[in-house]
Amino acid sequence: MNTGFSASLVARIAVLAVVAVFFQIGVVSEVPVFGVSADLSPLLVAFVGLLCGSTIGAATGFAVGLLVDLALVQTLGVTSLTLTVVGYWAGRLRELRDPQAALTPLLVGAAAAAAAAVGYSLVQFLLGVDAPVSFELLRQIVLGVVVDVIVALPVWAIVRRSLIGGLPDDPRRRRRRAYTTGGLSPLSRS
Amino acid sequence: MYDKTVRRRRAVLALLVVLSLILLTAYFGEASSGGLHSVQRGFLTVVSPIQNGANKALKPVRDLVGWFGDTLHAKGQRDELRKQVERLRGEVIANQSEKDSYKELLTLYHLDNRLSVKDYHPVTATVVAKSPNVWYSTVTIDKGESSGVRVNDPVINGEGLVGKVAQAASDGAQVTLITDSSVGVSARIGTSNATGIVQPKVGDPNDLLLQYLPANTQANRGEYVVTSGTVSSPDDSLYPPGIPIGQVTSVNEESAYRSVNVHPLADLHNLDVVQVLTAAQGSLPANLSRLAANLPAGQQAGAGSGEALASTGSTGSGP
Repeated sequence: MNTGFSASLVARIAVLAVVAVFFQIGVVSEVPVFGVSADLSPLLVAFVGLLCGSTIGAATGFAVGLLVDLALVQTLGVTSLTLTVVGYWAGRLRELRDPQAALTPLLVGAAAAAAAAVGYSLVQFLLGVDAPVSFELLRQIVLGVVVDVIVALPVWAIVRRSLIGGLPDDPRRRRRRAYTTGGLSPLSRS
Repeated sequence: MYDKTVRRRRAVLALLVVLSLILLTAYFGEASSGGLHSVQRGFLTVVSPIQNGANKALKPVRDLVGWFGDTLHAKGQRDELRKQVERLRGEVIANQSEKDSYKELLTLYHLDNRLSVKDYHPVTATVVAKSPNVWYSTVTIDKGESSGVRVNDPVINGEGLVGKVAQAASDGAQVTLITDSSVGVSARIGTSNATGIVQPKVGDPNDLLLQYLPANTQANRGEYVVTSGTVSSPDDSLYPPGIPIGQVTSVNEESAYRSVNVHPLADLHNLDVVQVLTAAQGSLPANLSRLAANLPAGQQAGAGSGEALASTGSTGSGP
């Protein structure tokens, strides 16, 4: 299996991650919707995993998390840990199921946002950070997921457009290739 | 090949998770002057100018997005504030109304103490309806016969005389104001004992005229006109003595009788709470009223107080 660690792809992901983190900090975080701000980082990581696979997804998650923790002067490792898991999970989804439905980005984005929010909260609780487990926290998480779902499709389109040229093994192209060469054609089976 | 890929994938995951945990543990455990904190500060130092530049560059985008959000938020705030204004306006009106009622009740209380109108068993009533015409010559109150209100009972408020009961139902009564042409009140000017009849001034229902005063009566502008406590005919109401009616505005000397123009003290356009002076059976005012009603037709009530009337069956000046 091709893991896809090409220099072009890594460069594209790096640029995308840096731009996304700064855009997140500079713009998105200051535009509240329903009282919460969208979090682009889990969406970015999940979509990279969904397009590039689990290894690149996990690595992207770690890097983006580290960047976020450094830029926001947060506890190093917390966001890295949660986003690593998110990226890996999205990559495994692609490797095992290769979902092509139109709603896949929405569902994956929602799951990624929920996992990141819950995971981040859990780690914070484990670290003993004082925060009340309240309805407000639950509301924030749910609203955060809703807002992330709203922006999921545009983010998916941008990530896909940015990485498509560097993807060595795009699933659709692979299937298209298979059909044209007769490997998966129904006619060839009969 | 497959095993190798799987092992590598899992190794990468494990490595990244362990690395995250190490970072987390080390960062969380070290002091703020520790290595990781220093790295973070260094990163911040390097990135800050970029962040500032990005922040400025992205400000239009932020403003554009914020404009939509602010507009929606402002609309929501506007609607909320409108509701709040409506609610507060209602509260202010209610408070103002209560304040006015309190003032009237307070002045009524003081009037009670000054005039001893308690003897007349005052029934406090609220004005529930006013005559729709501009003259406001009648008002309807929420107390009637069930509260002891009878026809011809005097009606006062904290400022002075208001009128008399014209009709009484079980739970309501109609009060004819002193500015109505059908009302005549036996009155005197505060410092003198000369009595006359207060009636509305022809052509100006907001002003009163104290008529039929003796020609030698001394009256000065600004003097108070009060009820005399007498009746001029058996059909008149027996108003307790000393209830303020109005102030002298001018004196007319065109006839054998002297008359003075009187401006009513009670604000008859803004009545809210009034007192009906009912005379309970067996009370002094009731006896006086009965005595007044039994006067022979045409006999005139005399000057003096209610007590004087009770003791002398006095006569007085009249038309």
